[in-house]
Amino acid sequence: MWKEIALKRYPIRSKTGIPSQQLIEKFRPYLYVVPALAFFTLFFFYPIAYMVYLSFYDWSLLDLSAMKWVGLENFQALFTDNDFYQVLSNTFIFTVFTVALGMGIAFFLALWLNQRAKIYGVVQAAIFTPHIISLVSIAMLWMWLMDPQYGLLNAILEWFGLPAYSWLADTKSALASLVLVSVWKVVGYNTLVFIAGLQSIPKYLYEAAALDRSPAWKTLWKITIPMLSPTLFFLLIINTISSFQVFDTIYVMTQGGPVNSTNMLVFYIYEQGMDFYNGGIASAASVVLLLLVALLTLFHFLVLSRKVHYR
Amino acid sequence: MKGGSSLNRLATSPLKIIERILLILVSLIFVFPFLWMMLTAFKTLPEVFRFPPTLLPEVWDFSNFLKAWESGPFLKYLLNSFIVAVGVLILQFLTAVPAAYAFARYRFPGRNLLFGITLIALMIPPQVIFLPIYVQMSGWGLVNTLWSLILPYGASAFGIFLLRQSFMQVPDEVIEAARLDQASEWKIIWKIMVPIAKPVLVTFGLFSFIYHWNDYFWPLIMTNSDTVRTLPIGISMLKASEGSQVWNVIMAGNMILVFPILIIFFFAQRHIIRAFIYQSK
Amino acid sequence: MKKWKSYFLVLTLSVTAIFTGCSNQEVPSAAEGKQPAAEQKGPVEIDFWYAVGGHNGEVLEGLVKKFNESQDEVEVKASYQGDYYENHSKVLAAVAAGNQPDVTMVEIGVIAAFADAKVLADLGPYTEGDEEKYIPGLMKNSYWNDKLVAVPFNRSTPLLYLNRDMLEKAGLDPKGPKTWEELRQYSKALTKQEGGKTVSFGFSTPIDIWFYEALVFQSGGNILSEDGKSLAINSPEGKAPLEFWNAMIKEGIMKAPPGEKYNAWDVAKQDFINEQVGMIFTSTGDLKGLKDNAKFNVGAAFLPANKDFGVPTGGANLVMLAKSSEEEKKAAWKFMKWITETEQTIPWSLETGYMPVTQKAVESDEMKAADPNFRVALDQLQYAKPRPMVPGYKELQEVIMTEIQRNVLGQATPDEALSAAAEKAQKLLKK
Repeated sequence: MWKEIALKRYPIRSKTGIPSQQLIEKFRPYLYVVPALAFFTLFFFYPIAYMVYLSFYDWSLLDLSAMKWVGLENFQALFTDNDFYQVLSNTFIFTVFTVALGMGIAFFLALWLNQRAKIYGVVQAAIFTPHIISLVSIAMLWMWLMDPQYGLLNAILEWFGLPAYSWLADTKSALASLVLVSVWKVVGYNTLVFIAGLQSIPKYLYEAAALDRSPAWKTLWKITIPMLSPTLFFLLIINTISSFQVFDTIYVMTQGGPVNSTNMLVFYIYEQGMDFYNGGIASAASVVLLLLVALLTLFHFLVLSRKVHYR
Repeated sequence: MKGGSSLNRLATSPLKIIERILLILVSLIFVFPFLWMMLTAFKTLPEVFRFPPTLLPEVWDFSNFLKAWESGPFLKYLLNSFIVAVGVLILQFLTAVPAAYAFARYRFPGRNLLFGITLIALMIPPQVIFLPIYVQMSGWGLVNTLWSLILPYGASAFGIFLLRQSFMQVPDEVIEAARLDQASEWKIIWKIMVPIAKPVLVTFGLFSFIYHWNDYFWPLIMTNSDTVRTLPIGISMLKASEGSQVWNVIMAGNMILVFPILIIFFFAQRHIIRAFIYQSK
Repeated sequence: MKKWKSYFLVLTLSVTAIFTGCSNQEVPSAAEGKQPAAEQKGPVEIDFWYAVGGHNGEVLEGLVKKFNESQDEVEVKASYQGDYYENHSKVLAAVAAGNQPDVTMVEIGVIAAFADAKVLADLGPYTEGDEEKYIPGLMKNSYWNDKLVAVPFNRSTPLLYLNRDMLEKAGLDPKGPKTWEELRQYSKALTKQEGGKTVSFGFSTPIDIWFYEALVFQSGGNILSEDGKSLAINSPEGKAPLEFWNAMIKEGIMKAPPGEKYNAWDVAKQDFINEQVGMIFTSTGDLKGLKDNAKFNVGAAFLPANKDFGVPTGGANLVMLAKSSEEEKKAAWKFMKWITETEQTIPWSLETGYMPVTQKAVESDEMKAADPNFRVALDQLQYAKPRPMVPGYKELQEVIMTEIQRNVLGQATPDEALSAAAEKAQKLLKK
């Protein structure tokens, strides 16, 4: 420390022009940060800028040299296309239900499973298993379970005397089926995060409530939920953004069908850009996706952070 | 809490029994599908098409695994998956440690801005920007190489975030002592900070490895030939190569992908769960 | 614990380094093609990407092996890419990325799109008139701007497959229905109900563009207008197939198999094998597979006529890619010529069900002596029309498919569906 103070007051400049100790110290933090920032610039910020740039051109992956400036035409085409509105609506509905169910079910599971006995640990691990498995395998597994003729799910329904469900085969049920699969995958994760959050609530708050003979629901409402708000807030962002990015299950299970009923943003971008070679449309849709993700993040940070109760 | 469990043994009220049943049911909802995957993998095709389905296979058919394995160069797929996951991890490690150290322990102009940029990068999922990155990679001739799978993930904002928090918690005295001992900053990072942050590094490593091992979307976009395909892509091709109704072979192939992870999970539950839950803290 | 970790790190670093290096070298040989044909001792290597899986894929791999062993100037590296849709995607993506194969197969309805995108090589300089050997009826999707860009290989027409045993048991003519009305009656007779639930359907077909095209042709219509600039199915001929299918589904005698694209075909085929359905439409290329897997007598017949018989041809042609080097192109033609030669196309046909592609093969003794099922597609050729040959059709066919599925699922009337398709077609056909 003394050495540095001394060096600051009396910077040593060598005769050969080699940078002094002070200069190295000045640049050191930047040197350490540069590698990571280089990657971020190259693989986040530049692509974003490039993507916005590309959205103003008519181009195709087949022939990148033949780009044509079209200004806002791509966006125009996008917003006059009924299919795109269906894509947006599908994405929105999917997200709302996946997040609501995924977090709602997880919350109650967390309250139930947040106990010490060993069996609860086992159940917690059990419900977490889907989360670490590749989405591809989960998608294929559920395709098989949901097979309209031979799948286990319809067999179970029949066993209970219920009519067979159309699962992925019909436009009205396909989206619901995808919601089911996504909720199944994420519930375990949400639950365990909630449990971690619950366990960090100081016990004395509950003791005080017990002394006050507070009924269970009141304790829940006045203590648990407010104290859990950072966790709730965190999960809300994570779940929402990840629902917006859904692709694997669509690609493997429905390819956006039947009749575009499960076509959602990322799949739409993929199809337009890499199947139909409408690069301009795909970039424009990507810009829309980016704006939505950015807006969501902003919304959460601004509006909801006010509600978050920090200790 | 030994007191708790001994109390449980004494009082098995009907409510407790119902709760036990519910617990088992809940666990089954999440675990039974994997069992069903396994049971299907051992059935012969005619039995797969039985309705109502049989539970245990009447005839245990082991050939489905061989068929799945031989449907493509699975050893290569495995190798590629491994190389990508490890390669990403190494790069992330090399970029995150110095950056996290700088953010945690130095004051320098622009620090907050640069850290803010890191946080923004955290918020941008790859699905949003895959198209321009594909064009970029194509321009560099890197499409369909393992580099296209590794480089874009070279720096992890999440890793930097985690490590920074961990580094911030190292007491100043430890570092001052090292500096007084004429230790170079570089040495401090790798010989002191990293060992202290080992639990966080293991946590992050697990998270990153599992994420990239399971990644389907990115290799789907970036690769188009068997030499660089990864395991999830190979598995998904089973539907096409065998026929989308040949569920026994498809399930057998998926077992190859799923069960090693399940087994690792069984033995390393705590660590893995901690790895994924850590984000929330 | 510490030591173990650092050893592991070093190990993985070295392993990574070795294999990353290795994999980079294994980047497909098309990259080598960009360099001038250096003194290459040993065979010219070319990449062949194909889109037939399962049993047919194995037969193809066998043929490739035979070719490689029969000479040492060309070595073909064959690689399976998935179904037609997936292969098309991958080929185009590879062209964009610069690592495309040298030879591939393109489904005939999409050849125009590929040719228009300048992806295909002109075969003229290489064939030396060899294309005369092909059946003329199969050459309608082979020319673009008067240049030969594709040669027939695994060609097909849709066929009506019959479970002859089931037909006989129901007292029906095992040769199958000849008209739409007969199809309806046969389907009714073959549909079995048990306790209010349908246990087996009389008839099933994937609601796919190919079969729709067939029914439009049978009704005397066309898909595109003469000039190829607008959709011609917003007409009585275009509506007839939808009305027919809707009626049969409503009656409960026809099943529309669930699933996207070729998944629906797989379901239909599996249902046929499982005897859940008595008659299906699928490709002649599935003939051998169905015969081998079915435990009953399988018969193949023309698609039933409406005003007349009519089918689109189908399957894929082999193409050479424009970006390959001169040396690779010569090698590619050698392969393409060999595999479509009469000596190869006969066993190929008999082992899969695809049509043989040369006239000599059709007239050969082996084909004449073969199981009559294998000649049905050939006989149906006289009623066959080519699939549309315009670049916009690659995307348009999927648009039409989506709209007709919308109708069959009960969410749009035939009028609404076809008008929607016609509207979207305007944009796509302008290109």
